[in-house]
Amino acid sequence: MTSALAGSNLLADLLNGPRPAEWAPLREAAEQRLAGRELPTTSDEDWKYTDLKLLAGGFSPAPEATVDVAGHLLPEMVGTRQVFVNGRHAPHASCASAVPAGVRYFPMSHASEACHTLGSVGNGTAKGLFEDLNTARFQDGAVILVPKNLKVALPLHLLFITKAESPVAVFPRVLVVLERGAELELVEEHHGEGAYLSCPVVEIRVAEGAILRHERVQRESPEAFHLTSLKAEVGRGGQYHSRTLSFGARLSRQEPRVRLAEGADATLDGLALLDGAQVADTHSFLHHAEPGATSHQLHKCIVDGKARAVFNGQILVAKGAQGTDAQQQSRNLLLSEAARVDTKPQLEIYADDVKCSHGATVGQLDPEELFYLQSRGMNADDARNLLTYGFAADVLTHIPVASLRRSLRQLVMARTQAGSLGELS
Amino acid sequence: MLSIKNLTASINGTPVLKGIDLEIKAGEIHAIMGPNGSGKSTLGKVLVGHPAYEVTGGEVLYEGRNLFEMAADERARAGLFMGFQHPIEVPGVSNAAFLRLAYNKKAEADGRDELDPLEFDDFIHEKIKLVAMREEFLDRSLNEGFSGGEKKRNEILQMAVLEPKLAILDELDSGLDIDALRVLGEAVNRLQRPDRALLIITHFPRILETIQPQFVHVLSGGRILKSAGKELATELEDRGYDWVLEEAAAGGAR
Repeated sequence: MTSALAGSNLLADLLNGPRPAEWAPLREAAEQRLAGRELPTTSDEDWKYTDLKLLAGGFSPAPEATVDVAGHLLPEMVGTRQVFVNGRHAPHASCASAVPAGVRYFPMSHASEACHTLGSVGNGTAKGLFEDLNTARFQDGAVILVPKNLKVALPLHLLFITKAESPVAVFPRVLVVLERGAELELVEEHHGEGAYLSCPVVEIRVAEGAILRHERVQRESPEAFHLTSLKAEVGRGGQYHSRTLSFGARLSRQEPRVRLAEGADATLDGLALLDGAQVADTHSFLHHAEPGATSHQLHKCIVDGKARAVFNGQILVAKGAQGTDAQQQSRNLLLSEAARVDTKPQLEIYADDVKCSHGATVGQLDPEELFYLQSRGMNADDARNLLTYGFAADVLTHIPVASLRRSLRQLVMARTQAGSLGELS
Repeated sequence: MLSIKNLTASINGTPVLKGIDLEIKAGEIHAIMGPNGSGKSTLGKVLVGHPAYEVTGGEVLYEGRNLFEMAADERARAGLFMGFQHPIEVPGVSNAAFLRLAYNKKAEADGRDELDPLEFDDFIHEKIKLVAMREEFLDRSLNEGFSGGEKKRNEILQMAVLEPKLAILDELDSGLDIDALRVLGEAVNRLQRPDRALLIITHFPRILETIQPQFVHVLSGGRILKSAGKELATELEDRGYDWVLEEAAAGGAR
């Protein structure tokens, strides 16, 4: 059997499950686009380093399940959480009592009428295969609508948890719409146990002058596959700041695509901590469509064992997008001989008055930094661990939700063997 | 405390130190002066074990022990300290956590009690007063985004935390304004005790008005050309370095 055949079987299998009744036209359109398509292979430039043959075992639709969410709750957000288990809303695990009046925050299955925007963010650009797969089969998802000029004080917490006893597929869905001048802080987390495929799709619309801060935490199980698409449209003078933190999954892929209108500002930071045979791939696309927008992208990977990180950062500065300021940094730390990083900036600039910078580093710890710490009495191992921790923790420093910041720092400490050094924050 | 005999060292195969002899006793303050590129910083870095330099000959005894048999971190825990001219930035590690870690490593080596975060908090608040550092610098990442002067302040704070027996301060005055230099110079003076010693590496004599050495050495071309009392610093301020070099050249010719 060829891999292409395995791929088409996989797609067919995934589409074999029941089609939920809502959003029939959306789903049909997605299914039509998927008809005859196959999973990409490594001869496809966009998937050159990320081999989806690993998915060949097949996945069935995820059954209902219950989980204990106590361990995932964060004190700042106990009253602002929506929990989804195996792709379904879990009403008993959710609690949105602290969400201020005016904010509409509910599972999609409850109010499809409010979701006219669904599937329309990023219209005019190609739909990805996994995006279409999600559209065809998602069971439920979260809708967040923040009205004009409302600044939401408390962060909202979206928890997607998958529990797989046999290989299953889940399709989490998120739609966030911030009206003019609105402000929101959103934490989106993915957890799970067992072997499964999760294909989340996040759609974001940030209107003029609105600000969305978005923390995305991927802590899937070590056997999981996580293939996620994010599309964001940021209106004039709007801001979208995201931080994507990838710790789990056997194989993960992040595809954020952000379109910036005039004077908009975007941050697209990322951290991947990889070990064993993990693969983490980020293919980002920043579209400076109009003049005067700024973007900052800092993508960091720490790669150990025989793990592999892939970063492809595309920045498109459209004709007429004068005064664009786009800065991209890809920084990678290799901790073992067999670890591997493939990083590639991809700048396409069609305007002449722009400031674009990009840089990529792949390497080991800086001997000058190691020596500085040793000159203060730390032995070589401690110095290495502390610097590795710092390399990662640097991305966590500005997470505004204190409990999340603390727990992720502890996770990073454990993963970088810095735990023996005591409290470092 | 420190005895350097005919020390030679090189970087990437190029000799930088070409036979240094120097004795530093407890309670003494020495200044090493000299033109840029003379090997002053190299001497300091060799003493604290910077890996870029290779010791090619000679001997250094620190409190009777062969210094070159000790790793850099071991030297630090044994009381050797260097305040660097260009301290390194370490993102992601808070200054306070780093200072506590460094303090505890030293305390453990000295057989003293380690401090937990709360105890250390009290301890460090006394120390930052000494160097007039604003508290916010404790929460920031180690040296990250610090100005040249703030980095120097942080070096002296580390010195105050670690209380080294022998501190080597490399170009402390670079990046500092007059007021900051006085504050840090006085802080260094307050840390000096009869059982400790200081080695001040400086191009400009200005800092020696606050931290007054008993011994001044002129280093050039990897050798100490002249050693005298603190009056030499004044003379260097008035006359520059050329006359020392000429005198040495003439001496070599005779």
